[in-house]
Amino acid sequence: MDANIYKNKRPVIVFLTPAFIFMIVYLYYPFLKNIWNSFLEIKQLGGTGSGFLDPWYENYAKMLTDANIKTSLINTLIMMLATLVFQVGFAVILALMVDNIKRGKQFFKTVFFFPIVISATALGLLFNLIFLYDKGMLNQILELLGKSELTDWKAEGIAIFTMMLPVIWQYVGFYFVILITGLNNISEDLYEAAMIDGASRIQRVFYISIPLLHNVICTCAVLAVTGALKVFDLPWTMFPKGMPLKSTFLTGTYMYYQTMEAKNVDYGSAIAVLIVVLGVLLSKAVNRIFKEKDY
Amino acid sequence: MKKKGIALLLAAAFAMSMIGCQGAAAPAAPAADTADSSAPADEAAPAAGGVEINVTTTFAGEDGNAQNFKDAMNAWCAETGNTVADTSATSDETFKTRVITDFETGSEPDVLFFFNGADANSFIEAGKVVSIDDIRAEYPDYASNMNDDLIADSLVDGKKYAVPVNGYWEAMFVNKEVLDAAGVSVPGADYTMDAFKADCKKIADAGYTPIAAALGNIPHYWWEYAIFNNGSPANHLEIPASADDAIGQAWVSGMNDIKELYELGYFPENTLSATDDETFAMFTEGKAAFLIDGSWKVGGIVAACQADPEDPATLDADKLAKFDVTYVPGKGDRKATDLIGGLSMGYYITTKAWDDPAKRDAAVSFVSYMTSDEIVPKFAQHTASALKNAPAVDESAFNPLQIKAMSMMSGVTSLTGAVQDLFMGDCRVSTFDGMPEIVTGKVDAKDAVQEGIDVYQAQ
Repeated sequence: MDANIYKNKRPVIVFLTPAFIFMIVYLYYPFLKNIWNSFLEIKQLGGTGSGFLDPWYENYAKMLTDANIKTSLINTLIMMLATLVFQVGFAVILALMVDNIKRGKQFFKTVFFFPIVISATALGLLFNLIFLYDKGMLNQILELLGKSELTDWKAEGIAIFTMMLPVIWQYVGFYFVILITGLNNISEDLYEAAMIDGASRIQRVFYISIPLLHNVICTCAVLAVTGALKVFDLPWTMFPKGMPLKSTFLTGTYMYYQTMEAKNVDYGSAIAVLIVVLGVLLSKAVNRIFKEKDY
Repeated sequence: MKKKGIALLLAAAFAMSMIGCQGAAAPAAPAADTADSSAPADEAAPAAGGVEINVTTTFAGEDGNAQNFKDAMNAWCAETGNTVADTSATSDETFKTRVITDFETGSEPDVLFFFNGADANSFIEAGKVVSIDDIRAEYPDYASNMNDDLIADSLVDGKKYAVPVNGYWEAMFVNKEVLDAAGVSVPGADYTMDAFKADCKKIADAGYTPIAAALGNIPHYWWEYAIFNNGSPANHLEIPASADDAIGQAWVSGMNDIKELYELGYFPENTLSATDDETFAMFTEGKAAFLIDGSWKVGGIVAACQADPEDPATLDADKLAKFDVTYVPGKGDRKATDLIGGLSMGYYITTKAWDDPAKRDAAVSFVSYMTSDEIVPKFAQHTASALKNAPAVDESAFNPLQIKAMSMMSGVTSLTGAVQDLFMGDCRVSTFDGMPEIVTGKVDAKDAVQEGIDVYQAQ
């Protein structure tokens, strides 16, 4: 084996440079530019703005009093908790169940993963039809069951739950596949030894599978929390402009609303900075809470 | 050595692919000597073939002229040998933002069909479109078939930039099946707001929704007429200096009028959470009686009466006969027959296309074709046009709803532009997007109006 490959860094640099340049041009420069833009007054996307805001930190001060920011943060927090509890939770249950069946594992893997490959916008339109007020699938079923009045599934109060349902449903399969891969990595020897010792199937799940899945569940939790901060397309398709009464805004959808609809590009930039800061802080916190264990 | 070679090869391939992408996105180099920019083109003569121009219009989706545009565009392409990269889209706030952003980032189209009000200010200020006079300096026949007095002046410099095609009007569509079921007759030219409320009560008592409108999504038409009803054709286009002055008070009263109708339960139960498509479906399916919308909605209603929305041969004439279009209930100094309307859009030629010798002729030829005496009447139909010699309308070519629209238009006493076209951008947010908060009483109408005025004055 020629050890020279480890000493000579040039091939490494040659390979890394294009990716590094790509990241600088398409990620770091726009990010720094976005921070700069959040201090300027910009009314049109792509515009250079008409100078600094007065005071220059106006957008950040505005966030403290903006009721929609408060709604967005609360909704995003609810979304995070829902993703953690339901997305990861359901994924764990499904993965454990599928891991314990002898036939049809591949079938269930495909079925549960399938929603991930459908575009979120298409799913949003699909769920719009399900939750439609007049002639929606859900209301038609309720009508068949004898309910005489239509339910507005997008009314204030329940809209946030109507929005979360498809988001949670879509990503259960994603975490399911990660978890099932984690379960496959657990040695069969451990299960056999437990069986010889007389452990029941439930005991094997609680004393072998779940403890050994800890690190994978932690990874899923970090992905779920940071993912919840970025959810945009499906909620926007179902609840544009935070409808109704701006009660369904998430940080991502509110940023888009301010930038594209309200034409407050600079304020949208400030919200984007807030999302990044929150993302970094929350992923740190989640990493600390769900600390990985060495086995 | 071999590994180094492979590494360099891969890196070179990656770099080349990036360069390739850039090359694909860059505008095509002007074809050398294919057109003489100094020689004015004969309007009747087609531009030299083989040129591709980028065109963006609002003739797409449910727009009644979407098919007319496709047909005319294809005919122009066949006649000239040129091609069109069509990026037309439905007219909404996202479309406007896309167009403005394209101008800001230098990726504007060559020809644009767009609003001639305040929405166009930014690219006119930046000198990114060419005025009709500048084009006429080199192409004297350009838009010579138009009555210049009817072409709107730019709010920026008073010059004319956009060659209009079809006008628009905003009026009230009615579903006669619902009116019959509620014992209400089709409103006429003397319709008042009080009579409208009385009719709404009868319709609601009969178990139908009186007004099809999604206040949480598209409150625009009600916003416009509610303000108009508290003003007059003479002062409708004035922007208030404060919510307390006479115009400002009219605006506040307008918002409160909508709030009153909401509180009376005349809008759909889900008006705050429904989309415009949902409430429009309520109207076409016989669940709601009145719909205030624009002339472009005639096409949408006709399409809703066809088994195949794309195929006019599948029209259900009996279903279409249930729809009519009439005047919007009046109040105060505004008569029901005073409508919102005019020529609010037109074709622009961008400076980018004008400065490109390969595209200049093609862009001028395209706009000349689309605004010719033969094409404009097909688009204008039941609306107005700016043609000097508008040909007589052949009613046999129109469907019954278009004929009813023509009949309604013949009784119009005045057409006034929409004040929302002047009060544009984020100053409308507090009363457009904020309409649900206003009608539910979460925000006071006066505060919402004042907030919008403050933003307008800061612009």
